[in-house]
Amino acid sequence: MITIVRPLADLVDRDHRRQLTRVVAMFVTTGVLQGLAFACVVPVLDAALRQDWPAATTWLLVLAGLFVAHHIALTVGNLDGYDLACDLLDITLARLGDHTVRLPLGWYDQDRTGQLSRMASKGATDIASVPGHLLRPLISAVVSPVTVVVVMAFLEWRLALALLVGVVAVLATTRLLAVIVGRGEGAYDAAMAQGSARVVEFALNQPALRVFGRTVHGNELVETALREQKRASRRLLVTGFGGLGIQLLSIQALLTLVIALAVHLSLGGTLAPATAIGLLVLTVRFVESLIDYGELSSALRIAEGSLRRVLDVLALEPLPEPATPAEPADSGIELREVAFSYDGSTRVLDEVSLVAPPRSLTAVVGPSGSGKSTLLRLVARFHDVTAGSVMLGGVDVRDLGTEALMRRVSIVFQDVYLFEGTLRDNVLMSRPGATEDDLAEAARLARADDIVERLPHGWQTRIGEAGSTLSGGEKQRVSIARALLKDAPVVLLDEATAALDAENEAAVQEALTALSADRTVIVIAHRLQTVVAADQIVVLDGGRIVERGSHSELLAHGGRYLDFWRERTQAEGWRLLEAPQGPQSP
Amino acid sequence: MARSPLLQTLRPVRGRLVGSLLLMVVSTVAGLVPLVGIVELARILLPALTGSPVDGGRAWVVVWVSVGALLVRLATVLGSSWLSHVADLDLSIHLRRLLVARLGRVPLAWFTERNSGTVKKAVQDDVAALHHLVAHSVMELTAAITLPSVVAVYLFVVSPPLALVTLVPLALGLAGFRISMRGAGALYRDYDAGLAELAAATVENTGGIAEIKTFGATGQAHRRLAEVATRFGGFNRAWMRHSALGMLLMELALTPALTLVLVLGAGVWMLRSGWVTGLDLVPFLVLGLAMTAPVTVAGYAARELREATEAARRIQRLLAEPELPQPASPAPVPASSRVELHDVSFAYSPGAPPVLHGIDLVLEPGTVTALVGHSGSGKSTLTKLLPRFADPTAGRITIAGTDLREMTSAQLYEQVSFVFQDTGLLRTSIRDNIRLAHPEAPDSEVRRAAEGAQIAGRIDELPRGYDSVVGEDGQLSGGERQRVAIARALLSDTPILVLDEATAAADPESEALVQRALSRLVAGRTLLVIAHRLSTVTAADQIVVLDEGRVAELGTHEELRARGGRYARLWAADQRAHPADGWAEEESA
Repeated sequence: MITIVRPLADLVDRDHRRQLTRVVAMFVTTGVLQGLAFACVVPVLDAALRQDWPAATTWLLVLAGLFVAHHIALTVGNLDGYDLACDLLDITLARLGDHTVRLPLGWYDQDRTGQLSRMASKGATDIASVPGHLLRPLISAVVSPVTVVVVMAFLEWRLALALLVGVVAVLATTRLLAVIVGRGEGAYDAAMAQGSARVVEFALNQPALRVFGRTVHGNELVETALREQKRASRRLLVTGFGGLGIQLLSIQALLTLVIALAVHLSLGGTLAPATAIGLLVLTVRFVESLIDYGELSSALRIAEGSLRRVLDVLALEPLPEPATPAEPADSGIELREVAFSYDGSTRVLDEVSLVAPPRSLTAVVGPSGSGKSTLLRLVARFHDVTAGSVMLGGVDVRDLGTEALMRRVSIVFQDVYLFEGTLRDNVLMSRPGATEDDLAEAARLARADDIVERLPHGWQTRIGEAGSTLSGGEKQRVSIARALLKDAPVVLLDEATAALDAENEAAVQEALTALSADRTVIVIAHRLQTVVAADQIVVLDGGRIVERGSHSELLAHGGRYLDFWRERTQAEGWRLLEAPQGPQSP
Repeated sequence: MARSPLLQTLRPVRGRLVGSLLLMVVSTVAGLVPLVGIVELARILLPALTGSPVDGGRAWVVVWVSVGALLVRLATVLGSSWLSHVADLDLSIHLRRLLVARLGRVPLAWFTERNSGTVKKAVQDDVAALHHLVAHSVMELTAAITLPSVVAVYLFVVSPPLALVTLVPLALGLAGFRISMRGAGALYRDYDAGLAELAAATVENTGGIAEIKTFGATGQAHRRLAEVATRFGGFNRAWMRHSALGMLLMELALTPALTLVLVLGAGVWMLRSGWVTGLDLVPFLVLGLAMTAPVTVAGYAARELREATEAARRIQRLLAEPELPQPASPAPVPASSRVELHDVSFAYSPGAPPVLHGIDLVLEPGTVTALVGHSGSGKSTLTKLLPRFADPTAGRITIAGTDLREMTSAQLYEQVSFVFQDTGLLRTSIRDNIRLAHPEAPDSEVRRAAEGAQIAGRIDELPRGYDSVVGEDGQLSGGERQRVAIARALLSDTPILVLDEATAAADPESEALVQRALSRLVAGRTLLVIAHRLSTVTAADQIVVLDEGRVAELGTHEELRARGGRYARLWAADQRAHPADGWAEEESA
């Protein structure tokens, strides 16, 4: 119970924390009043059986008073709880939204999308359901049996003691059950995930599986995963079963034990029969609360999980922002002794120093995994450097602040994201105040004007989720138009264009050339034209700069760059239909 | 015969489900025994109040019966739960196998129209949705119905008027439920739509975060998300406000305190009036409170039942997907690799506009046919008909005169294989990936294929060599994965090959190696290739220019250039994008 209230309090502001305390207090009151009302059964029944009507009436009035107070507290607590639930939903969503937008871009990767959208939809409603639906029965299931035991201790301490021992036993077995099931659940979840992955793989690779004639083999992988799933479920079942049996046994054994004890005491003459019956009625109420608690515990676990995940995200450090953003002198970029590591141990970049003067073209080349993309991401401050500094116009990007930095930088990466909305919205987002002429000019330079022409509704065509109605090359041209319209002095570019047809490719390249004109450009280069035209070329290998210079200097140097150049020229001149060009060089 | 999809889906395990249900009834009744025992004890012990002797022996019999009931309950509950869980396990794997088997036989085009998420949802999530119903809800619902029914009968036997009183909270609770649900349909739809909108906005804000930040739209996107969140919060509040009164009434009615007050108040009054005896009060206090329990459980169970029915419907729909027809008797083995397309047309669905119109084409054995054209001209659709991803809507495709539809899958794929951009590697060892077509191929052949595909060196560098599992041991780059796929095609060694030339360009890091592997692969085969960079296929035996699903031009590179038509224009664009000539001199300069 505490495990859910405390993190909830962490999530909300002071006023809501006070409201939460009020709701909890009200529900605790409800639980106590309910326990006391249960306890009234003993004197009422006793009086009624002895036909002592004045005493019965008095106790009935007490019971009625408790009942009214209980229902008032329940009403107040519930209404307050509903209200808090609504606020809690708003607060969770607002805090998630405000916080995630300040997190480093590097935090976002493919997994985040699903994770955050689950958190915002299911997670937030789970959390809101705590004061709305979960807290009342949960608190009542704990507080009212405690009240019952306390009252019983005054009436008949031996039965109270038996109940207390029983509670400890039941709670211990519930705990044990959770541990046992939890252990099995890990393996079960892993087996389920594995099975899902296999099924998706099976579906995605149907063409290959069928054409290579061995659907059987593909089936084998799926079949193995399905069998493993079944084995894991069965294991979970067997362990869970033992636990379930123990729990059930302990609760019902407790009831039976108290019955036996009551019979013993009553027959021995130390417990009045009417009181004995009243106490047994009370015991039944007590046991039922325990069962309720067991049933609520899984809902509680789910809510706790959702809450913890949200709090974990909220606990992530946002990128530090300067109080007053510094003003860069120009659009030159400099990296000084930059080192970077994603995990804190392996350095992806090390001792990287680089000066890109304003309006110059810097080409970065190197094998895959050499740190090219990371270098670009550091300039755009997707992450902060581990050591050294990245400067724009003589100012450290950390002193510049995200907003000021982003104002000056355009990025065109491989995977282009287009938003739901019209084509026009997608281009205009980079400069909402742009004139029609600016828009048309950007489209023309980006060669996006033919796309506008091709589409049935022109600029007003709606682009589906993640821009699905455009081809890869078209998406790229739209994103270049967006960057052109923004007209930032710094351009970061990744040339690796996924396979485009000839016409599209020519168009994309012309668009990139237009974008690069008159700007400070750092480009991950694959095309020969780009490296030849570059003011400087930087060759990365294993996270370090191994060569730098102009195209002709580096060719003359005869090192890594020459290999790169040879390979690229060979690739450009490739003919599918000629004889193979000799054995593979080691 | 219209049958519920749920019943149809549960059919294989219905025997065990019924068994589980019966055991649950026994268990529920056994659970009531100690409670009835308390009532019996009251009958035995209370006469002491009037000074009558108490039969101590009988009291202990009650205790022992309770102990016996405890054991019965334990045994039946475990038995019931065991039966239903085992039924669930068997049903799950049975359904998943059926689904996977069906997926292996639907036309390949079926997958291109759906994403892998749909498939995962059916095979994993929908089957899992049945789990809760089969393994838990059936039992819970049985208990929730049995318990109040048995109790009600018992209480009515004891005292009909007091039994009626215990029904009051139940009636009030149901009224509250009705009030909370009244007119809720529209509000709930708003709420659902708001939730979907919220999820979509979050997806957009996460997937497009780099764009949002770099294009300075942070404020704007953030505002939009905040708006959507506020709107959803508003729907939630409206929904809550609407149902608050009903929910509160339900809680107030169903709390045990109300039943307690009613039973004791009315009971004492009836006792004084002589309608009931003091003993009669005891069963109402012990059992009467059980009457209200089913309302909540029934609410949950109804929702689960609805969800499970939807899941079962989706499962049945998938199981009813038509299979790609297979011939009754296999055709004779093709004598050559001559491929002919006769007047082939194709549309993705019956009503949709055709994407290919009356294509006639002959691929002579050992020749190269290149397909060129704009994106959307039908190139990739055409290449997918040859490995029979789908059948032509009209016309026919033959190999050595035999229609593809008259060949079994095994026969067809001994003739045809392909290398497309998505490599189709499985999460298993590199060895098994390469020898997918011939699982018994010896290591020497696997190695030869890897060498031909220019990937043997890289595999040797991996810590576990050919046993390395794709996607687990050391990440393969895009170009490396493609070369493994090429090795697979080399090993399968079919006379006819369909290829997407862009495969080479997809990963500039290792383009040259992939190119070399491809050149090695295509040698000597009947080849149908989609060409993006025209310079790569100038030596093709024939070049087919597709335009809006029709053959616009057909001929060799020289013929088509001379013609000055579409091909000539495409060629000019290609030269602009790849001014490759002249780079060789640069190096020596």
